[in-house]
Order: sequence, then C-alpha cells, then structure tokens
Amino acid sequence: MRLSTVDLSALIGRTARGDQAAFQELYGQTSAKLLGIALRIVKDRAVAEDVVQEAYLKVWQGAASYSLEAGRPMTWLISIARYRAIDVVRARRETLARTHEDGLDPVETMAEPRDREAEFIERNRLSICLGQLDESQRRCFLEAYYDGYSREELSQRFATPVNTIKTWLHRTAAALRSCMGEA
Amino acid sequence: MSADAFHPRDAEAAEYVIGTMDIAARRTFEHDLTNDSALLRSVRAWEARLDPLADAVAPVEPGADLWSAIQRAMAGQGGARESGAEVVDFARHAALRRSRSIWRGAALASGALAAMLALYVAADRVIPGLAQPTLVAVVNRSGELPALLVRIDARAGLVQVRALAAETPPDRSLELWSVRAGEAPRSLGLVETSVTRAVLPAGSASLLQNATIAVSVEPPGGSRTGLPTGPVVYTGKLVSETP
Repeated sequence: MRLSTVDLSALIGRTARGDQAAFQELYGQTSAKLLGIALRIVKDRAVAEDVVQEAYLKVWQGAASYSLEAGRPMTWLISIARYRAIDVVRARRETLARTHEDGLDPVETMAEPRDREAEFIERNRLSICLGQLDESQRRCFLEAYYDGYSREELSQRFATPVNTIKTWLHRTAAALRSCMGEA
Repeated sequence: MSADAFHPRDAEAAEYVIGTMDIAARRTFEHDLTNDSALLRSVRAWEARLDPLADAVAPVEPGADLWSAIQRAMAGQGGARESGAEVVDFARHAALRRSRSIWRGAALASGALAAMLALYVAADRVIPGLAQPTLVAVVNRSGELPALLVRIDARAGLVQVRALAAETPPDRSLELWSVRAGEAPRSLGLVETSVTRAVLPAGSASLLQNATIAVSVEPPGGSRTGLPTGPVVYTGKLVSETP
C-alpha cells in the first residue's frame, strides 16, 4: 500500500511541526520499503534495521528542511536510507560476506507503473533507456544501485579494471541522461 | 532541464547517487554539495531519474521493536545535544543554593509541593548571531543534585529534559508545563525517561519569556484534559542568566 505524494508530503509537514503521530504514520507507510532497500545493500537484517532507524531519526530532525525541491517524498526518504546504507556498507566492507544475487533482471522485475500518467511515462522511459544500454554496463550500473557495490567491488565482479568500471558508470549516466532528457 | 545544461560534474553526481564512491570521496562530494546548488540539483535530478528502480525492491516489514528503538533514540538525542559546555555551574548561582525541596513522595497525593526552580537564558553558543536564545532550566532539589535540567532550544523548537534526581511516583507520569499569568498552562511534554526530548508546541517559544515552569504528577501518558490535573511538585520562575 502506497500513499500518494500529497499524503506523504502532508505527513512530513506535520512531522516537521513535531507531530509524533504523523511521524509514526509516515514510518508505518514507508519503513518496509526502506528496510527492503537497506537490506538489499547491507545484507544483514540487524544492520539494515539500524540503518532504517538512523534514517528515520534523520527524517525526524530534517523534516522541516524537506521541500518538493528535494524530490518526491518517497524519493527523499529512499535517498536518506540508501546513502546511510552505502556509508555503512563501505565502512564494513571488509567484514561483510557479500552474497551473490539471484541474477534476476531488475528491469524485468520493475513493478508495474502506477496511476499517475507522468510517472508512468517516467518509469517506462527509464526501462526503455536502460534496455538500450550495453548488457554489462547496464548490469554494472544496476548492481551498484541495488547492492551498493563500490567501483572496486564492481571491478572484481565484472573482472574489469576499476578505471573501466568508472568509464562504464559515467558512460551509462550520460546515456541515461540524454535518453531520458528526450522524454 | 535541457540536454546541454548539465553540470560538468553530473556523471560524478550520478555515481554519488548510485553509491559507487568510497567513503572519503562521498564526504568530499557532500562537502562540495553544500557550496554548489547546481551540483545539488544534479543529485536531485539523478535521484528522481533512478527513483523507479526502487520499485523493484520488495518491502520487508520491520520488527515491532524497531519503532520503539527509534522512539528511544529520539528521546536520547536530547541528551546528546546537551553538550558539556552548556551544563550550568550550579555552585555559581546563589539562588539555587537557597532553594528548598519539599518533595515528599508520601505526601504527593495531598497536594502541591514546590521545589525551587531557576531558569537561565543563555545565548545560543552553537550558531552565534541567531537571535533566538537557548533557555536552560534547572529544577533544583535542596541545593544538591538538581532534580531536572530543562533545556529549551527556541531556534530548533525543542524541549530537552534531563531527569537527574526527579522522583516519579509509580504508575504516574511527570508532565512539564509553562505557565504565564492570566493564561492557561501549556504542556511542554512528559518527563518520561532519564532524557526526554519533546518538540515545542508551534508558536510557544515566544510565550516562554517570563513564564513559570511547573511539573505536575499526571496519569500515565500525561493529563487527558490538556491542563494539569495532579499535584504540582516542582515550580519555578524564569530568571535571566545575563543581567
């Protein structure tokens, strides 16, 4: 169950004014998504819950500074959790046993577009643009996003020099940007 | 955004968003973000572009204790924000040494008990130049260890209460009030744990000037009427630290 942008914005606004009930509702509506994302990156339930806890503390403290300029509410929340998860996984890299993923293609598993037409186009657009990329470069970019891999980790996974990985990532970024810019 | 208007570091912004940089590079980039609003817009644009990717991640329901842990951490932040530099030197304040505690747990039900309270108005030491002051209330007990230390950060709109030696009767909550002559008391929140952090009700920061702080004994969870219902066990008048 997902709330609309407007509803989540309202909850964030009330959270900014210290409304703990609104904050709890925001947590209730969004925490499972954030935990799923964090868990995929840190690959440890307890660590992922810590990440989510810290993310919501940041939301509590930073709700007043949120504006739609910072993106849709869910985008903002996801970014906070993802950045925290990436920081944690970078710091713990040596001690974490990284597991291999199931090989599912994230583009194929991307959820059905939702009701809003603009979003539908956006989502479709990203799928189309990703589909136009070279297979390895696309996987590299997506594994970075989903699993929080560093350039060095990607270098090992793709048996490719770090500098080439960096080139791939930047080339993918430029291709996506220009492809999506046409929308 | 037109295709030719991208920031020269846009590819770096994309890498920051997907998260492939090492920690040091991330910190450097974040520092640059604070000085470069165009770069920040690049990051926001990448977050929005890649947002649909998150749809593919299955939600995982957190355990029930995660919310409790978040609430505890919210309360704990009050203590963390209370840096050593802001701890009041009680010995320097004669008013506190003159205070008398008549707190008696056994006598609670019989009516109001008062302890001396002094409230200090201190300049905000964190961000000089901001007009709004930080208020520190010390709720004292017989000139010994203060019962409560209340810090009101008007700028952040926060009330932080450290219970140092306050006694809470079993199965009751202590509730903090600001009281001004001719006005109804306004709740500032509960004194729940050793450190409590609450958010000032909107618009109430300015009403704290010349207010009295009172602590009442209430049913668990606080007064249900919006006004103090139980005995007031600590009260005190605001005084300014600076002459």
